[in-house]
Amino acid sequence: MLLELKDITKKYGDFKANDQVSFSLNKQEIHAIVGENGAGKTTLMRMLYGMEKPTSGDIFINGKKQNIDNPNIAIELGIGMVHQHFMLFPPFTIAENVVFHHEPKKGWRYDRKKAADEVAQLAEKFGMKINPLDIAGDAPVGIQQRVEILKVLYQGADVIILDEPTAVLTPLEVKELLVSLRELVKMGKSIILITHKLNEVMEIADRVTVLRDGKVTGTLTTKDTNPEELSRLMVGRELKNNPLPSIEKGNEILSIKNIEMTSKKSGKTLLDDVTLQVRQGEIVGIAGVSGNGQSELIQAITGLAPVNKGSVTLNGADMTNRSVKQIRDQGLSHIPEDRYLWGAAKEANLVDNMMMTDYAKPAFQKAGVLKLKEIRRYVAESVKKFNVKTTSIDTSAQFLSGGNLQKLIAAREIQKNTPFLLAAEPTRGVDIGAMEFIHEQLIEKRNNGDAVLLISSELSEILALSDRVFVMYEGKIVGEFDHQNASEEKLSILMAGGNNE
Amino acid sequence: MNKLKTNATVFIQPLLAVIVGLLVGTIAIMLSGESVIVTYQEMWDGAFGNLYFLTNTLERAIPIILAGLGVAFAFRAGFFNLGAEGQLVMGAVTTAIVTVYLPFQGLLNMVISIIAGMLIAGLYSFLAGWMEQRFQINLLISTLLLNYIAVLFAGYLVSEPFRDTSSAGGVPQTVMVDEASRLPKLLTGMNLHYGFVIAIILAIVIAFIMKRTTFGYEVRMLGQNVFFAQYGGINRKKIMFTSLLISGMLAGLAGSVEVLGIHYRFIEGALSNPQFAWTGLMAALLANSNPIGTTVVAIFLAALDTGSLGVERNTDVPNSISGIIQAVLILFISAKFTMNFLNQRKKEGK
Ligand SMILES: Nc1ncnc2c1ncn2[C@@H]1O[C@H](COP(=O)(O)OP(=O)(O)OP(=O)(O)O)[C@@H](O)[C@H]1O
Ligand SMILES: [Mg+2]
Repeated sequence: MLLELKDITKKYGDFKANDQVSFSLNKQEIHAIVGENGAGKTTLMRMLYGMEKPTSGDIFINGKKQNIDNPNIAIELGIGMVHQHFMLFPPFTIAENVVFHHEPKKGWRYDRKKAADEVAQLAEKFGMKINPLDIAGDAPVGIQQRVEILKVLYQGADVIILDEPTAVLTPLEVKELLVSLRELVKMGKSIILITHKLNEVMEIADRVTVLRDGKVTGTLTTKDTNPEELSRLMVGRELKNNPLPSIEKGNEILSIKNIEMTSKKSGKTLLDDVTLQVRQGEIVGIAGVSGNGQSELIQAITGLAPVNKGSVTLNGADMTNRSVKQIRDQGLSHIPEDRYLWGAAKEANLVDNMMMTDYAKPAFQKAGVLKLKEIRRYVAESVKKFNVKTTSIDTSAQFLSGGNLQKLIAAREIQKNTPFLLAAEPTRGVDIGAMEFIHEQLIEKRNNGDAVLLISSELSEILALSDRVFVMYEGKIVGEFDHQNASEEKLSILMAGGNNE
Repeated sequence: MNKLKTNATVFIQPLLAVIVGLLVGTIAIMLSGESVIVTYQEMWDGAFGNLYFLTNTLERAIPIILAGLGVAFAFRAGFFNLGAEGQLVMGAVTTAIVTVYLPFQGLLNMVISIIAGMLIAGLYSFLAGWMEQRFQINLLISTLLLNYIAVLFAGYLVSEPFRDTSSAGGVPQTVMVDEASRLPKLLTGMNLHYGFVIAIILAIVIAFIMKRTTFGYEVRMLGQNVFFAQYGGINRKKIMFTSLLISGMLAGLAGSVEVLGIHYRFIEGALSNPQFAWTGLMAALLANSNPIGTTVVAIFLAALDTGSLGVERNTDVPNSISGIIQAVLILFISAKFTMNFLNQRKKEGK
């Protein structure tokens, strides 16, 4: 056995994030870890990688007990981790990012050429296509992920921990990643894979460990199990399917006409003549590989960036290039695509995070003075309703697990009861139980006669929820389908720049 | 319980810094061959020993508290205002001139000249904000450099156009403020004046604004994550300008109350030499920009100064002992920033 965690317990105050967890990894095995948001998956891996210390329990590597006090020790022991959130230096080249901290030297100087050569070789060896001299920040997310993996390989890791690597990837990128992982295993590496997507587990993992509330509820061989059993172990109940009942569509709530946006820096066209409408009682989905103008579309609608041409009308009023506040007052709520960048203040507590878009409402303030009692009651109720796992509403947001923070943001925006909701990647990183719940909420909002624009790189989500689907490619709308006619194949072809004729 | 805990941690860090500061002070005293206990006893007596010394310490704390509150306010919104010194001097010189040369009398004169001082100081800090908005000049640099301009400009004003020529020679200074326009003393025979009451009230008001008002909420959120604030519809420009204005006005008030409460005139160098503004900055940083904390730390730092004067009077330990302790505190502040930075990196596994 390559690696073994024995009876690991991790306490934060009185709260047990991990409770007597045992876990093992064989050589050349892919061992998946699944579990609800806040089940303790990341925490367990952080202990293995030396970022946290177990309260009790032991870690054995190759049969020898080890104290992993910091990541450098983990790296020396051949353990590498790709984090849930990328940690690259965007302005630097891919090669520089990979060799960081272990730079090849010529005398005392950094050897630029050697670094590029070494990285190119390494990528070649493991069959990962990259260009070492590209700027990391400009590369698509899928490439950035490869860079993270290469970084770990460059450090000489034999065990690679991947924390939700597919959450941010496009379907094609996911496929490529899974191929790379198989390749890595063939070359002698072993992999721990945290994910919320059970199909990935079934497809690639040898074994899977399920965590719930910090405890192991099962370690199974993938061959002998199925997604239903796994989700039962994860959430402790059967999941339902949310149907999309057909209802009457009402007036146009959002109307975008011929908008265009060009990059201030490069002059490149980011949005090209985009036109679309969302009506009352309708969920409109935008499918597309991320980086094809979705972020710009979001910014244009929400007032975060100006458009050069065209118009945006919300709830009957022209909102083209208005301020965020004006647009929000006109009836926008918005689940942002990047929860840490746009969606939350990490150091602030849950109350402050939850209040962002509501603090000015008469229910929560009078003459500029906050009604703290009402606010706290509201936040406590929302946290409960959306099942955000936290020790208290005074905890700062950074201590929530990724999926729980997403739930908090979804709660904030969905509960606003605005006529229009822009939901960008609303279930990124949330567990299957929470995904079911958020989907339910979106459908309910639609059934109540509100308009929802759903932007998601998750095709299954788009297909399940959308009354109509638009496909975006290189800043343009390249296709429109209604619910019955949309299918994964048709969308995929358009998303990749092909056409259906 | 959680809340109690976070409230406690607010005070643990500065407390720890102070304890280590005093320990290092102990070593310094031992090196100078004096009794540690006697020295600290003298220091305590010099700062709090009797009503006179106590009120003296509190008086000294006034400008430190106000300047500290100013720095803390801007810092909360995410803007580093290093210009408290210049703003303080601008406020002081404006008050000193307005009170003498405008035709108002008594209490009204006092109020008007204080407001004038605060306004000019606020606008001076506003100017830095405008330069960042208009020309992308880094606030850190502009506020810092504006200090020199303010101090030299005020020096010019009192050396040339507004110099008190009745006393030949000596330090350049303005004409005395008339009796009726001065800030009254809190206790007869003591230095402590009503500026202290103003400072304490303002600390409480600011604490309230930060915690309990929508404006305070906007300030805090902007300071914590600009993008989040923008996403929520908070107007960065508006908050930047208002918080810089308030920050400058508080620093300016520090200068104004010094003029009307203790010097009764603007004397060149009298407000910049004691480093009130920088001590205020230190108080704000040690207290993590918490207004009440800033006030407490400011009083402590003032006590360090007055206490070491007592030490100098009664022992052979030089009064730079307070400088040593302050230096340790500064080290602590920078250590805190470095630690935060390193922790961040460690978490990222670099
Ligand atoms: N530093 C901390 N202090 C207090 N609680 C913490 C801390 N870190 C994690 N937790 C709590 O421990 C629990 C487990 O968190 P963890 O990040 O391991 O969850 P996860 O299984 O990775 O979830 P997700 O799928 O959402 O990423 C969560 O409830 C979280 O709030
Ligand atoms: Mg996690």
